[in-house]
Amino acid sequence: MGLSSSSSNEEIQLCIFDIRRGQNEGEEMDKILFFFPNSSPFSKQLSLIGLTEALITFTSIFSPHSPCDSIHAQFHSHIFHQPEPDIWFILLLSKINDSEPLWTDHALRNFLKHIHSLFVMFHGSVRSILEKEPSGGLIRRYLYSFIMDYLRDFIVGKKLHLPSFRDCLKEHGTVQMLTISRDAAIEVQSLVKELEPSAGNTPCHSLVLYQDLLVSTTLSPDDTINLFTYAVLRLTPHALSSGASSWSYLRKGNNASNTVIEHPSSMSESFYGSSDTSPSEDNHYHIVRPLQPDKWSKGKDGYLVTDLWGAEVGTWVFATPTVWLQQSGERMYLCAYQHRSLTLILLIPVSSIPNGEQGVSAVKQQVLENASLKILKVEEKLSKGWGGENAYHVSGYRYLLLDGDRNVSRASPATKVTTLSKESLLAMNKLRQEVELEKSRAKLDSDGCEKDLEVCIRAKNNAWVIARTTRGKELYMVLEKANETLLYASDAVEKFSNRYCDGTFSLD
Amino acid sequence: MSSSSDHDGNPPPPPSFHFSDDERGSSSATTEIVNTIPRSVTSSWIPRKRNLDEDDASISWRKRKKHFFILSHSGKPIYSRYGDEFKLAGFSATLQAIVSFVENGGDSVKLVRAGKHQVVFLVEGPIYLVCISCTEEPYDSLRGQLELIYGQMLVILTKSINRYFEKNPKFDMTPLLGGTDIVFSSLIHSFSWNPGTFIHAYTCLPLAYATRQVAGAVLQDVADSDVLFATLMCRHMVISLVGAQKTSLHPDDMLLLSNFVMSSESFRTSESFSPVCLPRYNPSAFLYAYIHYFDADTYLILLTTSSDAFYHLKDCRIRVEMVLLKSNVLSEVQRSLLDGGMHVDDLPPAPCSGSSHLIQNRLPSDSPERFKEPNLGIAGPAGLWHFIYRSIDLDQYVSSEFSPSINTVQQRKRLYRAYQKLFVSMHDKGIGPHKTQFRRDENFVLLCWVTQDFELYAAFDPLADKALAINTCNRVCQWVKDVENEIFLLGGSPLSW
Repeated sequence: MGLSSSSSNEEIQLCIFDIRRGQNEGEEMDKILFFFPNSSPFSKQLSLIGLTEALITFTSIFSPHSPCDSIHAQFHSHIFHQPEPDIWFILLLSKINDSEPLWTDHALRNFLKHIHSLFVMFHGSVRSILEKEPSGGLIRRYLYSFIMDYLRDFIVGKKLHLPSFRDCLKEHGTVQMLTISRDAAIEVQSLVKELEPSAGNTPCHSLVLYQDLLVSTTLSPDDTINLFTYAVLRLTPHALSSGASSWSYLRKGNNASNTVIEHPSSMSESFYGSSDTSPSEDNHYHIVRPLQPDKWSKGKDGYLVTDLWGAEVGTWVFATPTVWLQQSGERMYLCAYQHRSLTLILLIPVSSIPNGEQGVSAVKQQVLENASLKILKVEEKLSKGWGGENAYHVSGYRYLLLDGDRNVSRASPATKVTTLSKESLLAMNKLRQEVELEKSRAKLDSDGCEKDLEVCIRAKNNAWVIARTTRGKELYMVLEKANETLLYASDAVEKFSNRYCDGTFSLD
Repeated sequence: MSSSSDHDGNPPPPPSFHFSDDERGSSSATTEIVNTIPRSVTSSWIPRKRNLDEDDASISWRKRKKHFFILSHSGKPIYSRYGDEFKLAGFSATLQAIVSFVENGGDSVKLVRAGKHQVVFLVEGPIYLVCISCTEEPYDSLRGQLELIYGQMLVILTKSINRYFEKNPKFDMTPLLGGTDIVFSSLIHSFSWNPGTFIHAYTCLPLAYATRQVAGAVLQDVADSDVLFATLMCRHMVISLVGAQKTSLHPDDMLLLSNFVMSSESFRTSESFSPVCLPRYNPSAFLYAYIHYFDADTYLILLTTSSDAFYHLKDCRIRVEMVLLKSNVLSEVQRSLLDGGMHVDDLPPAPCSGSSHLIQNRLPSDSPERFKEPNLGIAGPAGLWHFIYRSIDLDQYVSSEFSPSINTVQQRKRLYRAYQKLFVSMHDKGIGPHKTQFRRDENFVLLCWVTQDFELYAAFDPLADKALAINTCNRVCQWVKDVENEIFLLGGSPLSW
C-alpha cells in the first residue's frame, strides 16, 4: 500500500489514476495512468489506489462535494487532487519528524494542480486523450514523458525535492511581475496593441517578460500563469543559458540536468507499451515532450526555435509549438521572440492561419517588420528601470505578498529568505497552514466571503511571524531582530503596506 | 456494586468481588469486571436525545457537525454520539478497515481531511476512537478530545479491559458500558463550554480566603492513610482539594472524575461508593470513590485504595459536613454561585503602581502615554469581552464571566473554539510555545500572552485598538494577582503535579 518506508526511493510517490477504469476484478492495474517511481511493485501501487478509493467513498458520506483532500498518518502523508472528474492525482510523502511539518498540504496540492494545468495546456485534458485512445497506452506515454520531464527540475541527486518549509515565503503557481514606470507602461501598451492584429481578424494574444518577470499579458490569469511558468522554465534568457529551471528553488543549487531519469523504454513493457516512445518509431501518435530540457535555442532572427514539436510533415521545417488556452479552449501557435532580457510570447490562433508553417512564418516576419523598433524601445526602457535581482528586497523584512485573484506574488529574494532561522521559517510555514485552512473553509462556506484576518505571533526565538489577509490579498512577513512590542510589529506592517501595497493592509 | 444507602444506618451490600490492594490502588480482578459498573450509572437513567432512530443512511445523521465513535479493533461499535450503535455496525466496520489497512502498512492513521470535514483517529490498543467533525476546531483539539473520551472510558473500566480483547478479539464491550452514554455525552458537551478540556488545568469556585481555608482544613483533617484524595467540589469547580503526601491529581483526572460524578444522576440522590479509575494517576487500577452531595451543586469525593473503607469514609463525610455547616461554607458557596466569577466590567482602572513582579512581567507596549483614558478599554468598541488566565505553577485557571456582548450560546461556543485554536497555535509541539499572539478576524480580537508563570487569553471587540488591548491585558493580570487569594486554591496543598 505504499505506506511503509524502507528504501529511499519510496519517500515520494506520485500516482495518477482513473476511477472509471479497471472495474473488474483482476483488472485494477488498468486504473493507473502514471506511477512514480515506476519501480514500485504493482502490489504497492494497487494498495495505494485501493486506500484512496476507499477513502473517497467513505468521505463522500459526509462531504459529498469535496471528498478526500489528504490523509495524514504517523509516518506518511497523502495529498489528493481531482483535477478532472474521476481523475485523481495522489502524492505520497514520508514524514521525517511529525512535529516539524516540512510542507503544507496547500503547497503540495498546488504542485499537483500545476502539473495538471501545464499538461492540459500542451496536450489537452487527460480524459480527452483517454477518449481518443481508450486502451490508455497513449495517455500513459504522454503522462510519463511529461511528468518525468517536469520532475527533473525537482530532482537533486536521486531524490525528488518538493516545496518545503524553506519555501514558505514563496507561492508555487503564481506570476511574479515587474514594476514599471508610467512611461515604460505606455510603451509596453503600444507594443501590445501593435501585436494584437498580427494574424488578421482574429486577435493574437501576447505575454511580455523581462528577465524572469512578467511585464504584460493579454491572457486570462489561469492561462497567464501556465505560459509564464513555461517561459521561465524553458524560454527566458536565464532558462536558455542555464538549462535548468530558474523559478525552481533548486536553481541556485545542483544542476538537475546531470541526473539520469529512467528512459520510458526501461519501464515495464506490459504496462506502458513496448517501444513506441521515441518520435521516430511512432508516426501515428508523436509524443511531444515540451518540458524536455535544453531543447530551445535562439535563432538568427531573434525567434526561439525548438525541434520538440517535430517537423512539419514532409519537410525539414521545425513545427511551431501549439498550446491550448484554458479559458477559450482555443488552440494557439506559440512564437517566442527574444531581445536581450526581453522575451515576447505571441500566441496566434491556429484557426486563423490556413496554410500552416508557411503562414506562421509570414506572421512572424510581419511582426518583426512592424514591431521590432517598439521591442527595442521597450527593452531599453525596462533595462534602465531594472533594479537587479534584489530589486524587491525590503531591508529588515522577509515577506510574501499574494494577490489570489490575479495569481500574482512578490517575495523577498530567495537569498534573503535563507538568512532566516529554521525556527522562524517553521513558524511561518505553520502559520501559513493555519491561514490556508481558514481560507479553504471560508471558500467552502455558502456565503463565500473572503476571510479578513490578522495574526501577529511573537515566536519563541523572538521573531515576529505575521499574516494579513484582506479582500483576496495576503501578506506574510517575518521580522527577526525586531522590537518586542506588538505595536512595533504592527507599525512595521503598516509602513510596509503603505509603501509597497497601496495601503491594502493598513488599518485606517 | 456501587452501594447506596437510603439511610445512614443501612450498610451497603458487601462488594461482590475482591481486589488485591496495592499502593497505587488495586488492579482489577478479571471476571468480575462486569460488576464494576456502578449501579448508580447503569440504573434507570434515560439518556437525553440521542437520535436513536438515525444511522449512517440518514441524511440528518450525515449532517451532524461532530460525531464521536468508540469501536473495538474488530470493528464492533462501542459508542456513538448519534444514532444507534447496533445499526452503525457496518459503518463501524468501515472505520476499522481504514485503521487496519493503514496499520498493515506499518503506519497509523491520524487524520483524513475532506472539504470542511476532518476525520481524526486515535488508536489505544484494542480501542479505536474516531471523531468526524466539520467544526473549525484544529486537529490537535479534536485529538485531545478523543484522548479525554478514552480517559473517561478508563474512569469506568480501567485499562484491564485490554485483557479481554487479548483473550477474545471479538469481545463485546457494550454491556460493560451499558447506560454510561450520558457520561460520554456530557463530556462531549463540555468540550464546547469547559475551558478545562483544552487548557488542562482546573478552576476554583471564587471564595473568601478564610472560607476556603476552613474547607481545606477539614479536608486535611480527614485525609489520613485511608484517604488518597479529598475534594470538595461545586459543579465543575474546586472548593478545596487535599491529597495524601507525594501523590498528585492531574487536572484531566479531576475533569473526568467530576464529569463522571455530575452526569450520573444517582450519585445525587444518595451517598455512593463506586470504583473509579484515574487514568493519569494509574490507568490500570481502580480506586474507590465515596461520593456525597451536600446540596444540588456541592459534593464531596473521597478517594481511597481500600475497597472496604465505606464506613470510615462515611464517618469522614459526617465530620466534614458538620464543619461546613457550622462555618457556613455551604451557604457561602451558594452565594458565590449567584455572584458568579470575575466580571470584566469590574476590571479596576490602571494601577498607579503594580507589584514589582508584575511590572517586570508586563506585556510590552511602546508608548504608555497612548493610554490617556485608562478606562476606555472596558466598554464600547474597544471593550474586553472575556478572558482566561492560567497559572502555570498552580495548574489552575480562572475564566471570567462573559460581557453582555457575548450573550448567546452560539457566540460563547464560537469564542471557546477560537480560544482552542489560539491555544493549539501557541502550544505548537515542534516550535512552541510562542510568546505572544494577536489575532483579529470578523468575530474577535484575541490576545494571548504566555510567560513562565501564566498564560492569558483575552477576547475583545473585533474593532479593539491594539494599544488599548495590551493595556487592558496588563490590568487583567494585575487584577488576577490582586484577587488570587479568592480565585485560586493557594499553598498548603501537597499537590505537586
